[in-house]
Amino acid sequence: MNNAQVEIQLIASLVAIACAIPGTFLVLRKMAMISDAISHSILPGIVIGFFITQDLNSPILILLAALTGIITVVLVEYIQKTGLVKEDTAIGLVFPILFSIGVIMIAKNANDVHLDIDAVLLGELAFTPFDRLIWFGTDVGPKSLWLIGGILVLTLVLLFAFFKELKVSTFDEGLSASLGFSPILIHYGLMSVSSVTTVGAFEAVGAILVVALMIAPAASAYLLTTNLKKMLLLAVGFGVFSAISGYWLAHTLDASIAGSITTMLGLVFLLVYLFAPSKGVIAVLYREKQQRTEVSLLTFLLHLKNHDELEERHVNHLREHINWQKVRAKSVLDLALKNNMIVINKNIVSLTEKGNTFTTKAIDYIITNKDAQIEDMKDDFFLFRG
Amino acid sequence: MSNPIAIKVDDLTVAYNYKPVLWDIDLEIPEGVLMAIVGPNGAGKSTLIKSILGILKPIAGSVSIYGKPYKKQRDLVAYVPQKGSVDWDFPTTALDVVTMGTYGALGWIKRPGQKEKKAALEALEKVGMLPFKGRQISQLSGGQQQRIFLARALVQNASIYFMDEPFQGVDATTEIAIINILKELRKAGKTVVVVHHDLQTVPEYFDWVTFLNVKKIATGAVKDIFNDDNLTKTYGINFKVSVNK
Repeated sequence: MNNAQVEIQLIASLVAIACAIPGTFLVLRKMAMISDAISHSILPGIVIGFFITQDLNSPILILLAALTGIITVVLVEYIQKTGLVKEDTAIGLVFPILFSIGVIMIAKNANDVHLDIDAVLLGELAFTPFDRLIWFGTDVGPKSLWLIGGILVLTLVLLFAFFKELKVSTFDEGLSASLGFSPILIHYGLMSVSSVTTVGAFEAVGAILVVALMIAPAASAYLLTTNLKKMLLLAVGFGVFSAISGYWLAHTLDASIAGSITTMLGLVFLLVYLFAPSKGVIAVLYREKQQRTEVSLLTFLLHLKNHDELEERHVNHLREHINWQKVRAKSVLDLALKNNMIVINKNIVSLTEKGNTFTTKAIDYIITNKDAQIEDMKDDFFLFRG
Repeated sequence: MSNPIAIKVDDLTVAYNYKPVLWDIDLEIPEGVLMAIVGPNGAGKSTLIKSILGILKPIAGSVSIYGKPYKKQRDLVAYVPQKGSVDWDFPTTALDVVTMGTYGALGWIKRPGQKEKKAALEALEKVGMLPFKGRQISQLSGGQQQRIFLARALVQNASIYFMDEPFQGVDATTEIAIINILKELRKAGKTVVVVHHDLQTVPEYFDWVTFLNVKKIATGAVKDIFNDDNLTKTYGINFKVSVNK
């Protein structure tokens, strides 16, 4: 690895961390789309800032562009408040207009502006090491690195200082307001950080990847944990992993770095979506299957308890009486046997003492409407559960 | 009642998009009562609580808690929002939600420590939820979630409690457990204000009641004013409930 490669990966990783933090709260607040809006509508801010400063890394440009982000949020909320359109419609109305204003401004000044549409959409991560920060005559690294590093430090300081406030206002706005932590203030604080981060990440990764870096790591982390701190750490981890693996994917394929990082983000989410231990698709399907079997077993035991007649309890007749397919009937019978719920004597099925106690309790809970307790009870009785 | 006035509402009017939801409400709630706010859907019951707590801005009128504006009396007040107003899939545990009740006393930036955690555990114990402290909140039943919310209010150790439909979607056991805790609060001299739907249980649970339908219809002791006349005025149809006196 040469120096430029290390620098690119470092910048990509810092961008990923800086995006994952506000992204986690946006996902939890169901505001993922607002990051899409911000990332597009800051364009006119960036162009105007560039006219003034002629430097994409100037703090004035960052502030101007971040201000456009805040204006977007305010406009969306204003349109939404009229009650004439819903929030998603309001977002869809505001950001394309602001974005196109930016596009027209670039096109009209194409000759003397060092900005083009491709760079706006996908960023120029590969070129970031060329723009160096010279401090007292010494080369201290790429400007982008210092810019995004500074934004990250700011984000971290705010996160540590206001973690409790962010949490309570995200979870329960009403409580937050009644405790004196103004949800509006925290909302705009988060929007400001999101805007500044977006602008900082914009040059490196472009308008489309910024959205992916904010939302995908947080959405993946959300499926894996029930703890906000762990969710933040996981989101950061997924972001950094995608940034570095994406860089090497691009290196191998000789393709766009931004595009490859986004692909990795998508891949990470897909894997988590499929294989997450409790919320993943496979786990959910498995659980549903298990629940179906358990309900069948309970039905079967209740049937046995309800009928003393030998005919109703004969192995060969059971299937007709309960009206199940052969395979299902067999698997339920096996399960009941394995759990010592029943005994089969001369082809007549009877409840064991354990089966009888279980069924009596279950009926009692069902009648008194304490369904939740059946779950705990199953854990006591069933062998096939952990 | 010779008790001091805990909550005083003067000429309160609240509007959504220029349509008044609450109209010129005057209300005095004495200290130490367990009060139900009753009225039909859209009567402004939740709006009244939210306006008292400063969550909604009224277009006219004022509110005071023991003679001072709410902003200066926050530490005297605990609030239990409707259970449906939050996302129960939020990545957090029962204990963490209850700990949020301590945030107000901590103020900005300061984090909860051992003292806050201990208070939260005690509150969980009071509502019978200690065994569930580490459970993710979406894994709790509706009744358990409501108990968690109640515990979060208890941990604030307030003088006045506002609760928005605490009995919605909870089982009978939880309802009795909650009302017993509320009665204990009243016994300890606290003031409890509850938005309530089930008219049948008003005389059994509460000693004070406010009838509300955009305007205030009546307020006072249940034994004096909980009658067919006020119910008819509030709900607009002829009401016949047998009131156990």
